[in-house]
Amino acid sequence: MKTKITEMMGIKYPILLSGMSWISTPRMVAAVSNAGGLGILATGPLSPEQTREAIREVRRLTDKPFGANASLLFAAARENARVLLEEQVPVINFALGKGDWIVREAHKYGGKVIATVVNLRHARRAQDYGCDAVIATGNEAAAHGEEVTSLVLIPHLVENLQIPVIAAGGFADGRGLAAALALGAEGIAMGTRFMATQESPLHENYKKLAVEKDVYDTIFSDRFDGLLCRIMKTEAAERAVKKGLNLMAAFFNSRDIARQMNVPYWKMFFGVLASGWSTARQLAYMANAFKMIKMATEEGDTRTGVLPVGQVQGLIHDIPTVAELLERIVHDAKKTENRLANIFSS
Amino acid sequence: MFGIKYPIICGGMMWLCKPKLCAAISNAGGMGNLTAGNYETEEAFRAAIQETRRLTDKPFMVNITLLPSVRITQEHHRMYVRVCAEEQVAGIEFSGTPLDKALGMEAIELLKKSGVKLFHKVGAVRHALHAEKIGYDGIYAAGIEEGGHPLNDDVTTMVLTAKMAATLKIPVVAVGGIADGRTMAAALALGAQGIMMASRFIATKECEVHDRIKEELVKRQEYETVLYGKSIGLQGRGLRTKVLEEILAIEARGGGFEELIPLMSGLRVKEAWEKGDVDYAPLMVGQSIGLINDIPSCKELIETMATEARQYLAQAYRATGGTEI
Repeated sequence: MKTKITEMMGIKYPILLSGMSWISTPRMVAAVSNAGGLGILATGPLSPEQTREAIREVRRLTDKPFGANASLLFAAARENARVLLEEQVPVINFALGKGDWIVREAHKYGGKVIATVVNLRHARRAQDYGCDAVIATGNEAAAHGEEVTSLVLIPHLVENLQIPVIAAGGFADGRGLAAALALGAEGIAMGTRFMATQESPLHENYKKLAVEKDVYDTIFSDRFDGLLCRIMKTEAAERAVKKGLNLMAAFFNSRDIARQMNVPYWKMFFGVLASGWSTARQLAYMANAFKMIKMATEEGDTRTGVLPVGQVQGLIHDIPTVAELLERIVHDAKKTENRLANIFSS
Repeated sequence: MFGIKYPIICGGMMWLCKPKLCAAISNAGGMGNLTAGNYETEEAFRAAIQETRRLTDKPFMVNITLLPSVRITQEHHRMYVRVCAEEQVAGIEFSGTPLDKALGMEAIELLKKSGVKLFHKVGAVRHALHAEKIGYDGIYAAGIEEGGHPLNDDVTTMVLTAKMAATLKIPVVAVGGIADGRTMAAALALGAQGIMMASRFIATKECEVHDRIKEELVKRQEYETVLYGKSIGLQGRGLRTKVLEEILAIEARGGGFEELIPLMSGLRVKEAWEKGDVDYAPLMVGQSIGLINDIPSCKELIETMATEARQYLAQAYRATGGTEI
């Protein structure tokens, strides 16, 4: 295929693997890049050393272009962004922060930078920073988003931006790819669909649930991790949203995170407090969410774990290999376009 | 099914879908809508059908909303169905309660015998399957972005259209978030056989509404609509205005039906449309208002959409490496 995104990134298909914590691991990233898409490594749960090691692991598994993400919400993640630059990762995907310095540094070695955005205001800012493209996340997407849906958000951004738009939220098959291209997007990013593949490290229990659950089996609420976030509707998810923020749990969970990321706890604790109450509250929320997502993705715990998913889970019926999936999507997109060509020629 | 030129259908809108707009859309090659709820007597409703027929010889839809209301009763619903059968209108867009439960299977038989095509606007596959089972001819699949009363399943058009098209045997018309050639092309790609728009048709020359309302829709953006009415079990999407802020505030402090109804009544909406006062009553429009940038005639709108849809599909075609359209 040929779009601005395939040209820019030197990939065969304009299909990206979203950077999902505990899912977009080196093996998964390499599987997507080897199959002709672009894998994006999730660095959210990783320390700087682990991030460096993960990038090198990806390079051992594929010689194709790949990306890595960096959430700029908190300090440790900015450290990870610096590692991505030092390692000259081909595509850097950032979200939730000011990324102009990443663009400057990445462009020095020929790297590309894409920002994940949820509205035109963020998208314009990303364009002003010099980003090469944006990933536009519609309401139907897994995890963080706003009210506006992909169908409306994508054409609105396409009309108002000069840089290419990659559509995310609601895409899982060939019809979706054809629809995204018709809306003016230059590619799609998928998370939920890639979770349910052979190579995905998502626990089997949740792969099975992703196939079983329907389009309306999600919850969209700001009472899971403090931001508007879409998660799979399970008993555990409903409990978590009902309870809201549990500060005591946040205390213990943040200790786990500190241990996992190799940061002394007192340093993290005072760092968080110094960031002000609203940020501290946000981070406390996220500490708990972190734990619940980890329980779901790694342990497959359906009683306490919570998994961010998109509405598109209702369009998933099987667990193919990544390569099968990509070939099928492109094949079906062509089939869809042939069907439409017939409609329009009559 | 209807022998129309473009699969672009107007959705029912109280006080707005009257003969002039309806005929303009049908004459332009789409399918206009006459909303039955505008008319309280049989004479007025029949007269509106006949006036539309004077203005166009093309088919058009009638909207009948099967929801309990203060002004429009079940007797009205029966009358609408009977008149539609007698007048042999092309099709009916129902919404709310399915026809078998609202008026019984005999209503369905009567309409089918008269050759009226039946569609129901639904927000969930389970409701669509029920409609298919009892003999409806098609489904309007309404995503959460639509103005009006989207189902509180909150599924978006992108996902819902694909799911419906893959599940149902009867044709699916996509509703919610569609206002231009791009969004129409996308809906068709997802498997819809047609698209329905409402908000977009408000901002046309032929719509009989105050100019200030049309200008407001051009100005406002996709993030400026809001869902309300959840607390009283009737979710609606409308333009974010002073009155909707007030309604949301009443809902937030647990105010009930009695406090809300005066602000939401149909007659108040009628007055707001006529006076051009956006802050007076909830104006039920969808997220697609972010894609409205002008006030064309219905003919200009429909032809531009068809041309653009073809152009964007050709672009998509080039991207996937297929042959040219």
